[in-house]
Amino acid sequence: MNKLRFYIFNLMPYPHIPPASEIQSTWVSLSNKYYDPHRGQALYKEYIDQLAAAEQFGFDGVAVNEHHANFYGTMPSPNIIAAMLVQRTKEIPIAIVGNAIPLHGNPLRVAEEIAMLDVISGGRIISGFVRGIGCEYFNNGIAPADSVERFNEAHDLIIKAWTVDGPFTWQGDHFYIPNVNPIPRPIQKPHPPIWIPGQGSLETLQFIAEHKYTYMMVFSPLWFTKMAFDGLREECNRLGYDAPKTMFNACVPTYVAETDEQAHREAKAHLSWVFNTGLKIPDQFFFPPGYMSTKSFRNFTGLLQKGKVKRQTDLTYDELIADRYIIVGSPETVKNELGHYCDEVGAGGIIGPGGPFGPMPNWMVMKNMQICSEEVLPEFREADGLPDYQREKPHSYRSLAELAAVKGRPEETARSLVTGGGDTLIEHRMAHVPEVIDPTMEQAPAERPASAS
Amino acid sequence: MSYIDVVEKIDVPKPLRHYTAPHFEQVLGLQIAYRREGAGEATVLFHGAGFTRMWLPFYAMLAQKLDFIAPECPGFGETPMPKWVRSFDDLTILYDQLFEQLGLNRIHLIGFSMGGWAASEFASYYPRRLKSLSLITPVGLRLEDDPGVDIFQLTPPELMDRLFKDKDVMMQWLPDGENFDEGIHMYSEFSAAARLMWAPRYNLALERRLQRLTCPTQVIGAEEDRLVPNAMSDKFAAVLPHCKLTRLDGTGHEPLLERPRELADTLIAFIEEASK
Repeated sequence: MNKLRFYIFNLMPYPHIPPASEIQSTWVSLSNKYYDPHRGQALYKEYIDQLAAAEQFGFDGVAVNEHHANFYGTMPSPNIIAAMLVQRTKEIPIAIVGNAIPLHGNPLRVAEEIAMLDVISGGRIISGFVRGIGCEYFNNGIAPADSVERFNEAHDLIIKAWTVDGPFTWQGDHFYIPNVNPIPRPIQKPHPPIWIPGQGSLETLQFIAEHKYTYMMVFSPLWFTKMAFDGLREECNRLGYDAPKTMFNACVPTYVAETDEQAHREAKAHLSWVFNTGLKIPDQFFFPPGYMSTKSFRNFTGLLQKGKVKRQTDLTYDELIADRYIIVGSPETVKNELGHYCDEVGAGGIIGPGGPFGPMPNWMVMKNMQICSEEVLPEFREADGLPDYQREKPHSYRSLAELAAVKGRPEETARSLVTGGGDTLIEHRMAHVPEVIDPTMEQAPAERPASAS
Repeated sequence: MSYIDVVEKIDVPKPLRHYTAPHFEQVLGLQIAYRREGAGEATVLFHGAGFTRMWLPFYAMLAQKLDFIAPECPGFGETPMPKWVRSFDDLTILYDQLFEQLGLNRIHLIGFSMGGWAASEFASYYPRRLKSLSLITPVGLRLEDDPGVDIFQLTPPELMDRLFKDKDVMMQWLPDGENFDEGIHMYSEFSAAARLMWAPRYNLALERRLQRLTCPTQVIGAEEDRLVPNAMSDKFAAVLPHCKLTRLDGTGHEPLLERPRELADTLIAFIEEASK
């Protein structure tokens, strides 16, 4: 197994908005009048191209996610982008990190869409589940106070829908579905891998440990990520198992260029935008009432007041670098920093190295990806240079011949009564062959009077 | 689900001014905090989403003439939020039971702001329990044209600004900025409000159900309410049968704090008239 997996993550920001100093928020209240669909079209094209290119560069996966009513990430439906990537790529895993399952009226829709994607992609989908950040709830008729309960119930419903033969009835506190019977079912068994992005709350860590899911720490300083990962390892130990390294993914935007100086020169404005402008979120949007427990709100507010944590919009570039929110430098620097980072926190995957950030122009993103793949990735790979997924057996068959050879004919296949076939059900694959429909026809030439004339 | 489970056990701070220790009544497994003073017609007030745990000067004015009872809504003041309370229907059940246990058969009911919604719901289910209904800058109906600001999008200073027309009064009621616990408690109370009111911010059925009322009704609106449009009091007054609408000069959304004397006099006169 490789030392570290690299995932390209594109939030798909829409950067043509006023500077942070001129707006209250990049979320919720900043009018969508700033969104020009034609510029949006151009951006989507670049963003999707960047993600699709990750496979050629040799990254371990691509990641997309869900946010609403904001300019930081314009992917209200990540499954749509995932569907395009399924078609644009061949083998690379596609992580949807994740669907905000409490926000859906019927979580079964997520079970259906992920199953569709998993089937069409041949089992390449990583299915993340999130509550959505506080802002998301202003875009919705779901009370933030219901968020945790709805998340838990939607999760249970989706997993059951994927793993138990339908139909069955779902009688929950928040969802009632008379007939759960989603078709298709996912390829991966028992279901696609589940990633849970989070901010390190004990409840989240316990949930992940209990289900043996993969954790994805959102943008955080190194010390905080370490604390959360240590907490998760502890929870896993408490349940009697050692958490494998692959359970831990950290989000660390990373930019690499020819030299340290050049890297900072190129990345500074764009990486700063992600935090200072993209994440300009006033408290009342970030923590709508009921989204956090009063206890968590007290803890967080206390840390803010004591200066132990800062709002992301207030972080300077130097602080972002010093606290390892981000890593920027020459290939040598980035190799060392990433190596140190994952040794320190015990991460098996990094989300965000060599990728796109904020308003970064397309050419700069491609440059980042190329230098990262050629000069950083090999350091963390085995001698063959392959991503782990290429050493594993694929979840699906690569050709019809392989499918037929391994699986043979389906146990059930379409059969119908056919005109001329009497009471016998005829397999559709043969339904256009007259002698199969009516076997008596096979003798017909012999019984017919010879017509030599 | 058990009646007893609460959403969260929290420490409730005591405000520096006007705090009085409440009585508690155990109702359906929940310890409901309430304050009760005075003698006369039994009159219950449902508070708004703030300024809890206090014996307000306005309450004392009512208690001079009335048997005045002010319960604290689940999730507010010192009443915990039980897990089973998710809606105004649940509150109605809870209050009916509380009144039964306190021996309050027929009452005058006053509802302020969010409490105006709760009072409207109670009145629509138990119209014959009421001798009169008074709503002060209430919420709970749909305003098609302009729903007003989203209270949950406001910062605490923006909220204070919108609550008061009288800024001199506002300055007297600013939350104690040094008191960390008060800020936390405010989040907790707003969480309770959001549990009841996040979506939708109205109950369409009230427009039909309130027409069942036979008791005297009145709505007391603000001169200029910048939190809830004045059209809300107009609409309540139009929906409630034979309703009297008064607007108090110099008030915004907080007549209880801005014009306590005038408001108390208006209420007492109305309740005395309704009791004849």
